Amino acid sequence: MHRRDFVRSLIAAVVASKGMVGQQAARQQLPIAAPVPWTLGLNPKTPIPQTVVAEGIAEAKLRFFTAPQMESMKRLCDLLMPAMGGKPGAVEAETPQFLDMLIGESPESRRKIYAGGLDWMEAESQKKYKLPFSKLDDGQATALLKPWLRTWMSDHPPVESHADFVNVAHDDIREATFNSEAWAESLAASTHEGTPTGVYWSAVDPETHGTGPSPKPHVQAAKGAAKMPMYPR
Amino acid sequence: MKSEVFDVLIVGSGHAGGMATKVLTEKGIRCLMLNAGPVADVSRDTARKPAYELPYRGFRPPGRLEHVFQSNEFNANVWVDEQEVPYTFDPAHPYNWVRVRLFGGRSLFWSRQSFRLSDYEFKAKSHDGFGEDWPISHADLAPFYSRVEEIFQVAGALDGPPQMPDGNFVLDDDPWTPSMQRFIAAATPKGMPVCKQRRAMGRDGLASSVNLLLPDAEKTGKLTSIANAVVRKLTVDKNTGLLNGCVFIDRHTLQEMSVKARVVVLAAGTLESTRLLLNSGLANSSGVMGHYLMDQIYGAGLVASVPEARGGKGKGIMGGAAIVPRFRNISTKSEKFLRGYAFNVTSSTGGVGARNFAAFGAELQQKMEEYHGSAFYMGIMGEVLGRRENHVRINPGKVDAWGIPVLHVETKYTDNEYNMAKDAVDAATQVVESAGFEVLSTNAVPNPPGYSIHEVGTCRMGDDPKASVLNKWSQSHDHKNLFVVDGAAFTSAGWQNPTMTILALSMRASEHLAEEMGKLNI
Repeated sequence: MHRRDFVRSLIAAVVASKGMVGQQAARQQLPIAAPVPWTLGLNPKTPIPQTVVAEGIAEAKLRFFTAPQMESMKRLCDLLMPAMGGKPGAVEAETPQFLDMLIGESPESRRKIYAGGLDWMEAESQKKYKLPFSKLDDGQATALLKPWLRTWMSDHPPVESHADFVNVAHDDIREATFNSEAWAESLAASTHEGTPTGVYWSAVDPETHGTGPSPKPHVQAAKGAAKMPMYPR
Repeated sequence: MKSEVFDVLIVGSGHAGGMATKVLTEKGIRCLMLNAGPVADVSRDTARKPAYELPYRGFRPPGRLEHVFQSNEFNANVWVDEQEVPYTFDPAHPYNWVRVRLFGGRSLFWSRQSFRLSDYEFKAKSHDGFGEDWPISHADLAPFYSRVEEIFQVAGALDGPPQMPDGNFVLDDDPWTPSMQRFIAAATPKGMPVCKQRRAMGRDGLASSVNLLLPDAEKTGKLTSIANAVVRKLTVDKNTGLLNGCVFIDRHTLQEMSVKARVVVLAAGTLESTRLLLNSGLANSSGVMGHYLMDQIYGAGLVASVPEARGGKGKGIMGGAAIVPRFRNISTKSEKFLRGYAFNVTSSTGGVGARNFAAFGAELQQKMEEYHGSAFYMGIMGEVLGRRENHVRINPGKVDAWGIPVLHVETKYTDNEYNMAKDAVDAATQVVESAGFEVLSTNAVPNPPGYSIHEVGTCRMGDDPKASVLNKWSQSHDHKNLFVVDGAAFTSAGWQNPTMTILALSMRASEHLAEEMGKLNI
């Protein structure tokens, strides 16, 4: 080898080795080649995305009330719990929409009180004023409902027809409104009132799904059923 | 390890099981405790949240826990799920079975009211001819009550009449507020004794098995505990007829497992202990097991207002709480009912609920502001009589999530309880009106049976093996190495919160058991 060629190859080797070191350093900073365990990297410092409650943003499709019942419900909410003293009323708190969901998911006995009560209220309105309840003014609506208001103690709402609906709905409307985001925001704006909160218990461990006459066995992939393993997720 | 035979198997970790574990391990006895649910870790399992962040804005999740009136969305996950562990009843006669399977059981959540039974309960039949006397008296249990009161730091005053024996209290010498003084002045001429409330203060705000009993047992090194162990049946040595352990199912994996022990102590809660015995076919030569289910009527009472405290003038007038122990059928005799009821009395400085006004909107708001800080509450705790027909039995047609047959509960209140509730509301109305208070709302209808979470009986104790399941030591008449130390042992319910009596009975039974084991009698 000529001396010139030797020097050139020596330089090339030095450059190459420097390049290799550089590559190693770069490789150390790269993530581990995929696939990696799915949860790798999650830790207590992982930022938690900020979300909002959907009902404040999105329009909910009616689930239980009919459209006319929802109109009556909104009027009822506005009458029984209007906005007062800087606090939102039941309508501003989206209480009618919330109750549509809550009652829709509730047992038959509760659904019956609401559906029957709203229909009764509408029929009474038509009979007395020849108007839908949603179009009554405060005086008319008050005259229709006030005779059915009762005082009562916890767990013992009135059981007589119509009084049951009026008093239970009143109670539900108040609680749903107090517990709404709109109400909490109005309190947060106040100098001497805080947002009402409670201690929420998570499910303390996974649910056992084996309800019914006999516990469900653990699901296993059936042999030969598919080439890809089918694990329950 | 797997062939290890424990000295004592204890099923359940609440007040009853915790006390048995503490007593037995401190005497050097090796105990295995099984609990059907997991350990609750408040720092891991709870978070402070606003109601609006929850799917149902804090309302009880629809369709869940229909018979747990105490539940809401915040605490829904602490109660036993009615779908996971169902029970059956005639829909015309519902039963509210309120259960907690977390380690520590219902001792994690209770009202802390801490009363002794008196001989008006222990010797009730001798007093009025109904039911059966207990095989023990207050004098037998008094030393154990005292030690329990010391552990649980029960606050109260030494002001009890004979029907509410005094105890070893952290003395409450706070003066009565003016509203309470007026109530006392009105109640006394009507024969109502008014006493200071009696409450377990515990330690660090909690009065539970998990902080007052189990740590002492764990310190001994003699306690082994398993969570999520759902006991399916107790096992028996065919040669001796004695119990020798149990079969349980792991709550998550459904794996069936077994353990061995020389003695079995049941403390799973009144109805779960009875269910386990009925499913095991044990200890029922008397045929009494499951019968004489009792509790207390709750829900009846009134809400009143102290007029002078309205309009923001309540400070210095309102505040304080009292107990009016049973006053009916002590020195007089009612025509309408046997036994009696007590009143919880509270003079409140807080708001008055909207339900107490037949108004809405601005009118309601004005009323609530005016009445704020003037509320006066009276609520009943009434004794339910022990009747054979009020019972539980196994429903072989339905099983829980672990394939274990469930309980069918058949119980209802009678005219005795309904008349008692009506009398209570009448008496309460008279006394608060005499005091010059305004009655805002009343209710004379008791909540469904079970609501008080004070279910007792179904394995009652007695001297006669043909008429009782347990003897005076809470020990099975049929199997000498079986003890039931929870509320199932009660012979009558009384009006009192049963917790102090359950604890005292468990302590007494466990000391007797330890002594008998020491003598090799068991």
